[in-house]
Amino acid sequence: MEVSEQAAIALRQLRERLCSRTLAHSLLQFSSDNNFSKLKFHISSSISAACSKVLLLRGDKGSGKSAVVELVLKDLKAEHPDFFSVVTLYGLLHSDDDISALEEIARQLCVGHKFSFSKTVSLDENKEFLMDMLKEYGLARKTVVFVLDEFHLFTQGKQWLLYTLFDAMETFTSQSIIIIGLSCLEGSEQQLEKRVRSRFSSCTLLFGPPSEEDRRILLEQLLYLQKDPSLASKYVVEFNSRLDKIFSDKKFKEILSYVTCADGSTNHLLRFLFAASSYMDMESGFLSLQSFDSAYSLMKRQPKFASLHDLSVLELYILVCMHRLQCKEETSYNFNSVMKEYKAIQDAHKTSDNYSHAVCLRAFEHLLDRELISFTDTKGRNDSIKFRPVKLLVSSRELDSSLKANSSCPTILQKLIDHESYM
Amino acid sequence: MERTTPSKLSRLRSDSTLAATPPPTPGFTGPRRSSRLLTSPGPTKLDSDDAPSSLPTPIPSSTKAKRRLSLESPTTDPVTPIRSESKRPKRTTVQYKKVVLGDVEFQVGDDIYVKKQGSVESESEDPDVEECRVCFTPASKSKIMIECDDCLGGFHLQCLKPPLRKIPEGDWICSFCTDKKDGKEVVWPEPPEGKKIKRTAREKLLSGDLHAACIKSIWRETDGTYWLRCVWYRTPEETAAGRQPHNLRRELYRTNDYGDVVINSVLRHCYVMNPEEYQRASDDGDDIFYCEYEYDVNYHNFKRLPDIDDNYAENDESSDYEGDSDGDSDNDDRSLRGTSSNRSRSKVLAANSRKGRAYWLPKIAESKTQENRKRRKQSKLEKASAALSLASRPTSPPCRNKEMEEIETFVKGAIGGQECLGRCLYIHGVPGTGKTMSVRAVMRNLKSEVDSGVLRSFCFIETNGMKLSSPNNIYKNIYEQLSGHAVGWKKALHCLNEHFSNGKKLGKKDQKPIVLLIDELDMLVTRNQSVLYNILDWPTRPNSKLIVIGIANTMDLPEHLSPRISSRMGIQRLCFLPYNHEQLAQIILSRLKGIDAFEDNLIELACRKVAASSGDARRALQICQRASVLAEYRVKQIADAKAKGKSRVCLTDIEGALDEVFKSPHIQRMKMCSKFGKIVLTAMVNELHRTGGEELTFEKLSERVISLCSMHHEVFPGYDTLMRACCLLGDGGIILCEEPKKHMSQKLQLNCSSGSDDVALALKDCSETPWLSLYL
Repeated sequence: MEVSEQAAIALRQLRERLCSRTLAHSLLQFSSDNNFSKLKFHISSSISAACSKVLLLRGDKGSGKSAVVELVLKDLKAEHPDFFSVVTLYGLLHSDDDISALEEIARQLCVGHKFSFSKTVSLDENKEFLMDMLKEYGLARKTVVFVLDEFHLFTQGKQWLLYTLFDAMETFTSQSIIIIGLSCLEGSEQQLEKRVRSRFSSCTLLFGPPSEEDRRILLEQLLYLQKDPSLASKYVVEFNSRLDKIFSDKKFKEILSYVTCADGSTNHLLRFLFAASSYMDMESGFLSLQSFDSAYSLMKRQPKFASLHDLSVLELYILVCMHRLQCKEETSYNFNSVMKEYKAIQDAHKTSDNYSHAVCLRAFEHLLDRELISFTDTKGRNDSIKFRPVKLLVSSRELDSSLKANSSCPTILQKLIDHESYM
Repeated sequence: MERTTPSKLSRLRSDSTLAATPPPTPGFTGPRRSSRLLTSPGPTKLDSDDAPSSLPTPIPSSTKAKRRLSLESPTTDPVTPIRSESKRPKRTTVQYKKVVLGDVEFQVGDDIYVKKQGSVESESEDPDVEECRVCFTPASKSKIMIECDDCLGGFHLQCLKPPLRKIPEGDWICSFCTDKKDGKEVVWPEPPEGKKIKRTAREKLLSGDLHAACIKSIWRETDGTYWLRCVWYRTPEETAAGRQPHNLRRELYRTNDYGDVVINSVLRHCYVMNPEEYQRASDDGDDIFYCEYEYDVNYHNFKRLPDIDDNYAENDESSDYEGDSDGDSDNDDRSLRGTSSNRSRSKVLAANSRKGRAYWLPKIAESKTQENRKRRKQSKLEKASAALSLASRPTSPPCRNKEMEEIETFVKGAIGGQECLGRCLYIHGVPGTGKTMSVRAVMRNLKSEVDSGVLRSFCFIETNGMKLSSPNNIYKNIYEQLSGHAVGWKKALHCLNEHFSNGKKLGKKDQKPIVLLIDELDMLVTRNQSVLYNILDWPTRPNSKLIVIGIANTMDLPEHLSPRISSRMGIQRLCFLPYNHEQLAQIILSRLKGIDAFEDNLIELACRKVAASSGDARRALQICQRASVLAEYRVKQIADAKAKGKSRVCLTDIEGALDEVFKSPHIQRMKMCSKFGKIVLTAMVNELHRTGGEELTFEKLSERVISLCSMHHEVFPGYDTLMRACCLLGDGGIILCEEPKKHMSQKLQLNCSSGSDDVALALKDCSETPWLSLYL
């Protein structure tokens, strides 16, 4: 078989694994004392004891909260078939009004039992339906699991949904309602209204970034090729041994630490690995250190800095002028004052870059569009651009380095900015 | 046709009440079936002076009924006879609550044996005295019988081989059953000549030769015969699922199948109990049965019977009952509901609409019953956490006697006198101080007083302001509970106004005084406060007979309202103070009675902590429950059988639970930050400390971060990565930041209560970047 064909198959295998929502988290479930086993213990114990519970899962975005919930529920579904139903609500979609949330709850319950569902029924009917369903569930010894994604959004406003659920948990004896809240925002329970808060008790599971050991497991499990009938075994062995070499490389470890320094979550790591797999050399069919390196440079892209690079000379002039005004501690300045500064520079240095007022305004508008500068206030939309106060959105350090990097930048500008900063 | 004589019946009854037949309780770990201490089954003094009030004269119609029944129920299934129109209770028929037959009284709600038609048993047979399976003589004082937990046969202790001295602990299974299990040939002792094995009513029922039923109503036909409407019970064998391994020998299922029987086919009382009663009834006779589930004859599925204390079920039943007594055709609707009328409906309504619900909801049930999980042996910790959960509420809240008395006198004062005057009571207190629970407990007490006839009957309505989608809907809610009709709120308001001011008839409960409990009263405050005005205005009208009890958290809610409302609210207020730590401990200990799951002083520790902060009973319960769950998880991890038995909640568990509730979660979260996030936090604390301000801009922060990085040979990853790190921290709620669009002038602020100290605590010993502690 051709190498490139094999490489294509291998790449597909890798990408399948990297793109799966839950695979990475399921790989970690066997390490001891993790959130998976805790969550499973909590849910299954409250199913078997028929008691209600609120579980709050907190952690940074991308730390795998919903993936773990998904895994646990799938696992339990296999253990106790038709023993519980799951209702999933998303804070962004269902927290703003009663109607959408209740309708969604009713819909999901109906779909779960293959009941017919009507969209047109009133809010009260849906509410009664929920209550009746909860009662029936209690009698049939079943459990309802409410998964509230973006839990912190449910803790705003009137919070009737949480109150209703918590109150139902107290009212219906010998019945289990499990509420799983997923939240990345800390202190969301502080926002609860006092009577809701009094009813609220949660056990909290904290999701953190994977440890050093976990990260190693992830890398190995995700990137090593599995034996596959369509892949030559020699190729697989070679592929894996090369990966081994890369993993032990010092440079690779450095890259990995850079990648994880700002955002150590599992999903971020997955994204990095996916980028690396895209840089796989299809000719040889192997992942190399080079591909990880280019993936890293892709990840660390600095859009703001990049947009400073390809500015025209006039735009650079305007930015420098604004910077000078800022350094003179003028609190508020607009296009006209910037132009005054520009003219002053032109008068003093007599450069070839003396443009007319209209051209400068165009450049100014261009800068506004690029969000390198912005208006200080949102009001006064009707005023002319010329008179509205503006401010600079780049720091002097960024400006300085961009001037240095720009080849067409006149030396006078650099002098000006150097002069300002070391004055 | 058997016509039981009074003397015989009295014996039967004495037997069933005094004879001590232990029920089999195979799975129960609780009370152990006791000895079959049979006292002499002779006739005892009964309340024979209780003269039969209405002796039915059964001769003509009973035969008719018998024929009818025998035609329609030849199988083992107690099929409800198809009721012909002529047999339907007409308005002319008289409904009774109890009937005395012989001197046995049958009441609505009693459980009875019903004879099956065409049974071959001779009538003369006395089915009530159980005999020893070996020597075929009944038990007596000297000869104690015990019951096999498998075959339910009775044995004299002396007749066993080897004989037993006393009742053994735990389950006991006779030698015949063990032999049978081992696959050996079993020869049961033959009865002596001329004596045949007699079967008790219980045996007949379990083998399907008798039926059991629960009386729902009693009436007299125009021809003078007495009829009963009953709900049938079924044995596990008669269900679609058949007998399942976890079924108890004495287990029955209640069905939703109704049937009419003539009173003469009633044999006598039996006692069908729910699990709790059954567990308590260790030696209450042979005629007790266990019933935990309702069996739906149409869908062939099972549903647990609601607990008695369930408020909802109570309401349902009472309203149903009233419908019955008024001669409504409610009964027919209900029995029809079970039949195919719904299924054949051509247009199927949606499940979430009001009308479609009755059709769809019965489908949610188990196809097979599960083994009762409560029957399983629970560990101490599991028991504790179940007892401490908020859902398991005690019948009366401890430590609230004074307040309850006050509520009771208030309600009694309002409805007790001849003239029922409208009144208002405002109850306030912080959440979790037992306000609603106390009111409910008082209402329960009063209800039992009504039942015993001490008090005039009244109607209790409960609403909750938080559960209404808009304040106006409260009219709808109240009207629906009063009349049973759902209408729009404007119509409901109109009707209620009519009712309270003019005394216009409204549903069936109109003559009674109405006690209206409004929970979370402050949610009803609207801009022009019209809802509260209306509700509080009703009691002031003459003839309204309305008593309003409002509950809210704020002490001065009436003062916030407009004067015309606060004047109507009256001056009667009741304050629920937060619990102090002794009361909290008492509440928890009262729930943990008999469960030794906590080490000493731990409860007090938790209670003191809670009392110091809020005095919220819910919080205290939650902490203790959480601690017991933590302990359970800890024990499970140990996996050492020896340690499992004697494990109790220890200090680490309760500290963990307290930390979860009281400790700021930020610190843990900060420890989990990425490396760069930690540097950002350090730079922020450092910069804030330098400037002494509350907030700083992104520009200042970035300067600081760059200088820190260059000093400690860290690579500065660039402004955009820095911005990203800030946004992540902001998403996590550790810092507050403005939207990133503002870039350089974006304002940042720490979001912890104690500011920089928290950060210092969290990042002090960070292994990754130890130099951070220099700046904290």
